[in-house]
Amino acid sequence: MSAPGPLVFVVDDEEPVGDSIAMLLRTVGLSAHVYRDPRRFLEEYRAEQPGCLLLDVRMPQMGGLEVQQELIRRHATLPIIFISGHADVPMAVEAMRAGAVDFLQKPFNDDELIRRVQKALEQDARDRELLQRREELERRWKDLTPREREIAARIADGAANKKVAAELGISVRTAELHRARILQKMGVRSVAQLVRMLVALRESPGA
Amino acid sequence: MTVHSTAAPPTVAESRFNALLDAAVDAIILIDERGHLTRFNPAAQRMFGYAEAEVAGRNVLMLMPEPYRSQHDGYIHRYASTGERRIIGIGREVEAQRKDGGTFPIDLSVGEFRAGADHGFVGIIRDLTERKARTRETEDLRGRLAHVGRLGTLGEMVSGIAHEVNQPLTAISNYASACRRMVQAGTASGAELAGALDKIGAQAERAGQVIRGLRALVRRRDEQREPLDCNQLIRDVATLVEFDVRQAGFRLVLKLVEPLPATVGDAVQIQQVVLNLIRNGLDAMLEKATGDTLEVETAVADGKVEIRVTDSGPGLGAAALEHLFEPFFTTKPQGIGLGLSICKSIVGAHRGELRGESAPAGGARFRVRLPIGEDE
Repeated sequence: MSAPGPLVFVVDDEEPVGDSIAMLLRTVGLSAHVYRDPRRFLEEYRAEQPGCLLLDVRMPQMGGLEVQQELIRRHATLPIIFISGHADVPMAVEAMRAGAVDFLQKPFNDDELIRRVQKALEQDARDRELLQRREELERRWKDLTPREREIAARIADGAANKKVAAELGISVRTAELHRARILQKMGVRSVAQLVRMLVALRESPGA
Repeated sequence: MTVHSTAAPPTVAESRFNALLDAAVDAIILIDERGHLTRFNPAAQRMFGYAEAEVAGRNVLMLMPEPYRSQHDGYIHRYASTGERRIIGIGREVEAQRKDGGTFPIDLSVGEFRAGADHGFVGIIRDLTERKARTRETEDLRGRLAHVGRLGTLGEMVSGIAHEVNQPLTAISNYASACRRMVQAGTASGAELAGALDKIGAQAERAGQVIRGLRALVRRRDEQREPLDCNQLIRDVATLVEFDVRQAGFRLVLKLVEPLPATVGDAVQIQQVVLNLIRNGLDAMLEKATGDTLEVETAVADGKVEIRVTDSGPGLGAAALEHLFEPFFTTKPQGIGLGLSICKSIVGAHRGELRGESAPAGGARFRVRLPIGEDE
């Protein structure tokens, strides 16, 4: 299955605002889905769908910040650009703190809007790629046996085969075999690469 | 009877009559059946600035400015030939003219007397200058108070109104940019451009409506009397408050009967009443909502135009019902309690009625009844 193309979601209770944003984005070849009701958007949105979200701050059915919280709860990483008709500084601060990528005030400059949407889409693509790599890494790490993980951790800390063998009470030859097998399973060619990988794994919240 | 009844001593009836004329605060004048002045009491002399001798025997027309002057002979002739009463026993407001040429408003009531050959009319005249001035002053005060009230209400609504204008501006700006880009890229079809331009027009119209409504309410002007379509007034006001209502998660529902007979009065002041009632309803619902609709209806009831504003708030308590229209009575933490008393005085000045009651569903309902206007 090929990955779906990116979509710009526009959630604004004002039909003309949403409609006009969609038309503007079409002129640069971007597809937009417009929702007047944020609840409807949350029902239909699937986290696998790449893209970004233009989200009105104030809507009668549900505020933009609430929509953001719901997406965070679902671990959806869709970058959010808040749009507002007011100079809501406290709200903007709160939104940015919760991870919004941008805040635009209505009415917008068209170049600005398009530039920020494109930036958000790039960020989403990067996020998704990173996430994919990390998932791959975790999958490989889980493939190691407990013994292999123990040895990998020692290697990453800089221990040589001899030291590993001595500490674990195994032969140097066996330690060497384990090391080769670990490098193969993790899909790396050098210890240096393995070290970088394990550092990334330790930083990853799921590991 | 003549003005110079010098010869014989007065009879008992005559002397009583003279005392009556002399003591009267109102001007009393007598004319014969052709309209010639026969008596002109001291109050009349003070009011008009003529001595009795100056007017004796002259036509009463001298006390009238145009157009009354030209009409008067006609009235007398018509009454003499048809007996049709235009003023006798009825009284009306007309203008009178002093010796110095100045005119002033009077309330004139006319009676007729006939004793044998003695036939004529008596006119009792009250100077309305002061009363008129007081009325104007009251109108002016009411107008000023109403204006201050409107500004206050609008002040609370500024952010909603700004938002209401900003939305169409945003859409216009986006559509215009999209059009420019399509044209520059050479990808625009005529139909696509026309569609976008139509949308731009519609949005500009929407923004204009908000501004028009706003400008009308901000303007301070003298009270007008013109035929009013209450439905249209309500629709105009609704564009100003709808955002705030929607933002609060409620719905503003308009149920307007068409056609609604016109009423007569000042459009801005009636709009102010409607606006105030809607804002009150919204405030009540923000305090405690028992539903999500804020309803504005029009109807014809008991031969009057009725505007009903029904909220889904907590309703009116006994204390509120009792003091509803008193100045400075308020149930709102930030309220100063002038809104409803201003509304009441506006509606009163339109010879209408404003009442508050509990709605069947539990909220509050306000009814404004205004007389159906006739062309005068």
